Amino acid sequence: MAHPAQMGFQDAATPVMEELLHFHDHALMIVYLISTMVFYIIVAMVTTELTNKYILDSQEIEIMWTALPAIILVLIAMPSIRVLYLMDEINDPHLTIKAMGHQWYWSYEYTDYENLTFDSYMTPTQDLTPGQFRLLETDHRMVVPTDAPIRVLVSAEDVLHSWAVPSLGVKMDAVPGRLNQTAFIASRAGVFYGQCSEICGANHSFMPIVVEAVPLEHFEIWTAMMMEDV
Amino acid sequence: MSLAKPAMRGLLAKRLRFHLPIAFALSLVAAAAFKYGVTEPRKKAYADFYKEYDAMKEFNAMREAGIFESVRPSGE
Repeated sequence: MAHPAQMGFQDAATPVMEELLHFHDHALMIVYLISTMVFYIIVAMVTTELTNKYILDSQEIEIMWTALPAIILVLIAMPSIRVLYLMDEINDPHLTIKAMGHQWYWSYEYTDYENLTFDSYMTPTQDLTPGQFRLLETDHRMVVPTDAPIRVLVSAEDVLHSWAVPSLGVKMDAVPGRLNQTAFIASRAGVFYGQCSEICGANHSFMPIVVEAVPLEHFEIWTAMMMEDV
Repeated sequence: MSLAKPAMRGLLAKRLRFHLPIAFALSLVAAAAFKYGVTEPRKKAYADFYKEYDAMKEFNAMREAGIFESVRPSGE
């Protein structure tokens, strides 16, 4: 989850999010390069009493400020397209989960083998136990196995929502009448938090997402237990 | 005694010849500082984390700490 005074992304828990982190670092490096140059030139321009009223054109500078940005754009585009295509790889999921957005909670359907469906409501602040996170905890978490490609089909039952978990590198709009697909592989066990990312009414800020990644054998025990409860 | 004639031409070119290389150099230094101060350490941190990563050991530590809801600590 996010922590106070955080400036960057949350720690990545999937290979795709790691690649996105590194690409962001690359793009930000180029931003600092350009910003430093522009800022220095601005300071140099304003800290002189000299003026030149006779410049009409300059082929050299026009070539420079066309060619250099074109080269910089290519240097940004190459890793960008690489990560984009990486995210769209055919990934043969081991498990498919449907995440349905409602006003104002998520419901999850694990229907590959059995008919396991449950709702996930935010835990109200007054019901939190010590150590739990305000506005982020839910009564039921979406449990997934680690190191397995998971496909999430996202949709909505009423208005637009968006299923987002930053540390998994996942955000997908939940559109009524439409099935959107996203996928991830949880590289490590843990608990990962997200929040609805499309304005959906009064309690848009109060329908969080919690994904719990555990080893496969524990995931199977959990599904069996959930089926008994249901 | 006459004064030396002041430079009356090429003042902009002279200023540019002085400042533009410094601007380019500073921007490359800024980019290199970010690359070797942030980007490379971050890549190394992720590589080092997963190089010695023991998935079951980490999972069991988190389990005993009680953070999971699908798996309770072994004592419970």
